[in-house]
Amino acid sequence: MSLELTNISKSFKDEMVLDGVSIQVHEGKTLVLFGPSGAGKTVLLRLIAGVIEPDSGQIKISGTDVDGVEPEDRNIGMAFQNFALFPHMDAHANIASPLTAQKQDKSAIQSGVQTLAKLLKIDHVLDHKPKELSNGQKQRTALARALAGKPKVLLLDDPLRNVDAKLRFEMRLELPRLLSDQNTTVIYVTQDYKEAMAFGDEIAVISSGVVQQIGTPEDIYLTPANIEIARLFGDPVINYLDVTVQKDAVGIFALVSDKRVDLNSGYARAVGQDCSLGIRPESILFVPASHPGAVPVTVEAETPLNEKTVNLCLTARGREIMASRPSGTVGPANGPAFVSIEAANVLIFDKHTGELIEPDKFY
Amino acid sequence: MSDVMLDLNSVDKFYGSKGQGVHAVCNISMKVMRGEIIALLGSSGCGKTSMLRMVAGFEAVSRGKISIGDREIHALRPVERNVAMAFEGYSLYPTVTVRDNIAFALKSSKFSATDVAVKVDEIAAMLEISTILDKYPSSISGGQQQRASLARALIRDADLYLLDEPMGQLEPQLRTLLRGRIKAYIKERGLTAILVTHDQTEANALADRIAVMEDGELQQFASPEDIKKSPANIFTGTFVGEPPMNVFPARASISEETVCLRLNENIDLSYPADAFSAELRASLAEMGDIVLGVRPYAVQRRDTGSLATVVVNQWLGDQSHIATNFAGGSLVLVEHDRTQLSEDEQIAIYLEPSDIHIFNSKTGMAISHGARLIG
Repeated sequence: MSLELTNISKSFKDEMVLDGVSIQVHEGKTLVLFGPSGAGKTVLLRLIAGVIEPDSGQIKISGTDVDGVEPEDRNIGMAFQNFALFPHMDAHANIASPLTAQKQDKSAIQSGVQTLAKLLKIDHVLDHKPKELSNGQKQRTALARALAGKPKVLLLDDPLRNVDAKLRFEMRLELPRLLSDQNTTVIYVTQDYKEAMAFGDEIAVISSGVVQQIGTPEDIYLTPANIEIARLFGDPVINYLDVTVQKDAVGIFALVSDKRVDLNSGYARAVGQDCSLGIRPESILFVPASHPGAVPVTVEAETPLNEKTVNLCLTARGREIMASRPSGTVGPANGPAFVSIEAANVLIFDKHTGELIEPDKFY
Repeated sequence: MSDVMLDLNSVDKFYGSKGQGVHAVCNISMKVMRGEIIALLGSSGCGKTSMLRMVAGFEAVSRGKISIGDREIHALRPVERNVAMAFEGYSLYPTVTVRDNIAFALKSSKFSATDVAVKVDEIAAMLEISTILDKYPSSISGGQQQRASLARALIRDADLYLLDEPMGQLEPQLRTLLRGRIKAYIKERGLTAILVTHDQTEANALADRIAVMEDGELQQFASPEDIKKSPANIFTGTFVGEPPMNVFPARASISEETVCLRLNENIDLSYPADAFSAELRASLAEMGDIVLGVRPYAVQRRDTGSLATVVVNQWLGDQSHIATNFAGGSLVLVEHDRTQLSEDEQIAIYLEPSDIHIFNSKTGMAISHGARLIG
């Protein structure tokens, strides 16, 4: 079943929580809702579930307007953050409840519950009541219950929050496959950008009740609509440097620490404009001093993470920039060094509005 | 006075009656030095919060001793222990403002009202709660309450600071920002702190040493660097590190010229004998059955080698996480660019001896890291 929201608005008292939100999810696809707390993500899920009504706008499930349709008649599965497990039933009975409601036979229920419990690593606590479960276990029980009924539409509100990194990683590999095997249409809320990129066929970045950008993970990461989105995706966070886009006989360029960084000629329309030059840490490469356009920096600190090493560098003007490189590769631990900033890896934002300036293509 | 600030000596915690109750903390001994930041890291239910609650005095120890400096404290009431705490559910006083909640911690101190105000403003700015100081706890968000509670703990003068998931409610970006500031605050003042977390990034970023716990037992207590390079056992190896370490059962056979590690499905990893130290070769020959571990970012792709089949390829911006079926198990690789590999594609795998960890298959304890015997 597909899902289509058109121009949805919702206020509580005088506060506008959602302001003209339109999103579409095709059958069997996953849309990730990504944004800070208070952005309106959970409210949006509750509207789709039918627990609350929008002030204006339309919600269609499989092309049919669901205005006035009761939550239980929408064929939507949910796992929300406040768990809402049945307190008098153990985890097994909680997970089995949608199957029991569908009047499936005992062995089908048994194997359905076991498979999910195993996947979510809660098979050892199936006989525990909710109050005997840790928060992480409650969360996974709620997720298993939502998955058990194989609903056509599934709404998941940050289901892996409070889960340790190992299990989170395993879920990140396995859950998208399970969902696509079941051909479930999913809206998945998360604040973890890696999860967003791994789960989402598309990602809708939402803040202050407004959709800022909708696109594939590739769109969002490579051409973020504004600097705020660029900062939300990526770890360490994207570097940005104040520059003025300039032009001379050779072409379009910007100066970083008085060194020339050549830019795509499509940026001609930004000449003279105050801009922020965005460059991701993994695109900052250490190079020999002789490298054309090498920018001098001072390496201040080195932080080895798991799969990469992060260097904190200072430019000649005292701006901090982060460079990251794969673990095991050689780089300067501290002291003077040179980095290269390649035109192909640069994003240019309007300094005042924060909007991405895309280079004109016809050049 | 010694340099040991906190000394846990053979501490146990049982819940319920013996025999059928839960053994939440099993015979843990550890020493925390003055000025150190320690993280208790583990999955939910591993006993890390029970540990912290025993140090705080919210739970009695079932057995063992706890000392702070020269004082034995395990029989003292919480208020007599001189520890500052920020706990989940260790709630703010609802009838006074956030400012008064934080300032209350300095009530019995010698500071003037002006000094107290300055200190509260300073710590509120650090934790990004300056704008809510005049609000009441009921009107602020969970994340703000958590920071107010953290401020109230950190502003105090105490021997020990106990922080239970202090940033659990906060957004990732804010968490990253505050991590650095909190660490600097603690270090500048030479405070001693114990942090409970399930988030290894937080543990790595904040802690001088990490105590990894599972099933109530201390699995390893070492610096983040040591835990990464030399995990003490399979649990630590596969729990700390993102993505987790790959592990495979293997059988070692040693000859004059080669070391062969045979995985399931008869996949042989063969190396020249001198790639492994003589001591390790002797030990491998004796054991036969082992468990082999390799970190995802150390797995290499070559033109020829043992074949793995791609199951999932997830691109995360600066890296690709590729999960494969290999030797009857799952092998995950991290590559640093956008790898174009699709489902069911076959790739050839090579593991460098210096990247291989070997564990005892019966005890799970580490035998070697990087082709050198431990010890």
